Amino acid sequence: MLRPRQGHVLVVEDSDEDFETALDASRLANVINEIRRAKSGDECLEHLDDLQRHGYALPILVLLDLNTPRGDGRDALRGILQKERLRAIPLVVLSASSNSRDVRFCYDHGANAYHLKPVSHVQHLRILQSIFSYWLTSAILPEHEGTTRS
Amino acid sequence: MSDEPVVVSTSLPWGDGPYSIKRHGVSLTTCESEPTRTPGCIQSHGVLLALRPSDLTILQASENTASFFPSSPEALLGQSISLVIGQDRLPQLRELLSGQTVECSVKHAFSMLAMDGSTTLDVSMHTNGGVLLLEFEATHHNAEHDDRDYFSIVKSAICHIQAANSLQDFCKRVTEEVAKITGIDRAMVYRFHPDFHGEVFAESKRADLDSLLGLHYPAEDIPKQARDIYKRIWIRPLPNAAGALVEMTPLANPDTGRPLDMTYCSVWGASVMYTEYLANMGVLASLTMPILVDGELWGLIACQHNSTIYFPHQMRAACEFLAQVVSLQLKTVEQGEQLIYRLRLDGVHQQLVARAAQSGDLMALSDSHPSLLDALDASGAALFHLDRWWCSGKTPNETQLDELAEWLNGCSEFDSATRPVFATDSLARSFQPGAAFADVASGVLAVRVSRKRRDLILWFRPECIQTVNWAGDPSSKPVTVGPNGPRLSVRGSFELFVESVHGRAAPWTTLEVDSALRLRMLVMELVVSRSERLAELNADLTRSNDELDAFAYVASHDLKEPLRGIHKYAHQLLESAQLLDQESRTRVENLMRLTVRMDSLLDSLLHFSRVGRTTLELEAIDLNEVIDEAMEMVGSRRSDCTLRVDVPRPLPTWRCDRVRVREIFTNLISNAMKYVHGTSPHIAIGYLVPGEVGERPNAPAGSLGHTIFYVKDFGIGIETRHFEQVFRMFKRLHGRDEFGGGVGAGLTIVQKLVQRHGGSVWLDSIVGAGTTFYFTLPCGDEASTC
Repeated sequence: MLRPRQGHVLVVEDSDEDFETALDASRLANVINEIRRAKSGDECLEHLDDLQRHGYALPILVLLDLNTPRGDGRDALRGILQKERLRAIPLVVLSASSNSRDVRFCYDHGANAYHLKPVSHVQHLRILQSIFSYWLTSAILPEHEGTTRS
Repeated sequence: MSDEPVVVSTSLPWGDGPYSIKRHGVSLTTCESEPTRTPGCIQSHGVLLALRPSDLTILQASENTASFFPSSPEALLGQSISLVIGQDRLPQLRELLSGQTVECSVKHAFSMLAMDGSTTLDVSMHTNGGVLLLEFEATHHNAEHDDRDYFSIVKSAICHIQAANSLQDFCKRVTEEVAKITGIDRAMVYRFHPDFHGEVFAESKRADLDSLLGLHYPAEDIPKQARDIYKRIWIRPLPNAAGALVEMTPLANPDTGRPLDMTYCSVWGASVMYTEYLANMGVLASLTMPILVDGELWGLIACQHNSTIYFPHQMRAACEFLAQVVSLQLKTVEQGEQLIYRLRLDGVHQQLVARAAQSGDLMALSDSHPSLLDALDASGAALFHLDRWWCSGKTPNETQLDELAEWLNGCSEFDSATRPVFATDSLARSFQPGAAFADVASGVLAVRVSRKRRDLILWFRPECIQTVNWAGDPSSKPVTVGPNGPRLSVRGSFELFVESVHGRAAPWTTLEVDSALRLRMLVMELVVSRSERLAELNADLTRSNDELDAFAYVASHDLKEPLRGIHKYAHQLLESAQLLDQESRTRVENLMRLTVRMDSLLDSLLHFSRVGRTTLELEAIDLNEVIDEAMEMVGSRRSDCTLRVDVPRPLPTWRCDRVRVREIFTNLISNAMKYVHGTSPHIAIGYLVPGEVGERPNAPAGSLGHTIFYVKDFGIGIETRHFEQVFRMFKRLHGRDEFGGGVGAGLTIVQKLVQRHGGSVWLDSIVGAGTTFYFTLPCGDEASTC
């Protein structure tokens, strides 16, 4: 098994319940990385901007809910795609929408994976766990520049 | 006949020498070659002298000088004119020659007594190309003429003519006034058509004469040379067509060697053809005046008398003046008439389009009153609209119309940016098959009234021969042989003429073509405004589709978020609250089950809302592959079931949307699987081509012409009264968890998908024996091979 990576995970989620589920899943998956939260697409972009401006390390994974208020997941995707240094961050979309247009949009705009949020809590946890274990341990991610200060 | 004849002088009877009617006129067989402006002869009632203007020496004299003067022509030649008119008139003549413009313009010079003293002579003069022509005519005094005040007569005539309220009325009044002034038997306005055949347009006559009104005459009856002369002169008198011809001596001008140009002479020698022509009509005298509009010969004021009649110079001057006034006035009258016609055309066309706008259909143009025929002067009209013909009046038959329309649609005229109109007065000349219906449609005026569809409006006119009242019926009246042999008699050239107007209709005027174009604009605007309305509706539809999309999105996402929360808390409650009793646990479990069910309902709703709107991607699909895929999808859901699927014969390759047809089969198969029973459950999938033997129970009327597909199960069956309900959204006939559950959207989606392919779906069922779902996919019937 590969050694878990250093760095934080950014979860873009406006629903408290769903964020809590993400935290639960991260515990179940033994994730040691810090989980940070942005409540909207705009907040996500602001956060990334801040990190860049101060030379801090960027998140090693962004979990993105597609439908958030105040700049949704699509805006976040567009914003990240526009900035060359952010493009390398793995972006995993979690959405309640199975609309093929949404799926297409996300992959077109640099998403690395698209997952449905099931209503069933158990399934929801299972999906999140598998995302964490895949992206934080199995997959090889690019090295990020900047000071590692988590 | 309208072209300048090519004359090879050596082939003519008079060779290179000057022409004389008297010597050569009789030998002519056609009018074309006759030099009518230099006839070499004059009428015998007058005397003509040609002088050198510089010294007033007589160069040429008519042979009949002795009838007025005691000298033979030979005795006068080379002499001063004073020998004829006396020394004392020379200054007067010189003054007239230098003062007024007499070049090609005849002036009354003076009156004098003939040598015998019994006759007063009117002397008129004009110059033409360096020759001075003096004409001497007996005045033919009578008390009535002498006392007439021509100024007042012409003045009141003009007043009378100007009061006319139509072109017809105007011309009728002209004939009345001319008859009154001249006292002639018959005065007519003869109107030329564009091909120069003519028609007696108005007439005033002696009561006992037969009317010629409305009769048409071939163009050859007034040949081009004659028409050219009428563009130069204002009056042509012929007091006695039977009178002798008098030759000029010499025939050629000794100074120049040229024959004498008599275009402007009132004693001009008339062609034998003309005098014979008149004789055949029983006419002995004629007086003709041109009607010129914009320099072109519009028509003639043609007068005929059955006995000899003299036209004193004052009377001629009055007629000449009247002809000039008529010419000036006629354009205004004609324009007025055209304006009225134009207003009528536009008025009716606007009415037609207004009604078409109301009824939302162009049929109104042809099938009610007023119709297309009430406006434009045509004998038939046809409208091609909604893929069929709407005809009124006399038109070619529909097969002929189809053929014509196909040819017309290829015509470049319709591509013109400014005048997209086709107009012909002889269809068969450009469209050979048109000869078959030349009798009803030699004239065609056509406009296309839609850009994409091939909608046309056509007007038809029959060939002229069908409508025109020809003077003299060639079939009943043999060619008249004139006194000089079977040459041009009244109807001699008729056969030739019929040939030239064969398959020709009255031409469409600019006004009519313009009006057709305006109608086209109106109809196009109508169509455009309707398509704008359609575009608006489409925009509305897109908007409401977008709203529906947004709603479905809200349903799928925003409604699911709290649902996920509820499920989560229920789950946590169940895990953490060990204290709960069994009943409470069951309730919480039900709560969780309901949220899952709510979730699948929302999914179905979202899916259904999208089914109707996405565009189909039609391509040739092997339906056997589609069945295999569908089975795989269904099988993965129900791995516990060992289902047998019978496909009696391979399914055809079909033009359809692969993903959606697969969904149809997936839904029908999974539906069938739910209701099969027994130890070895099976279903059957097959199809029936049109006309093939096989049961098609409950098939809707429109489906029999199409291939019918079916999915048959041998399950529990459905009661007939529930047949309709099975297709309703979220309608289930059984308990929630019986027969494998499901939200009850599958068949609704099947119905929607089939409808999207233009087909219909229905079922037949026997309770306890099984159910068969039938459906058609008509979009593939034409393109596919079975």
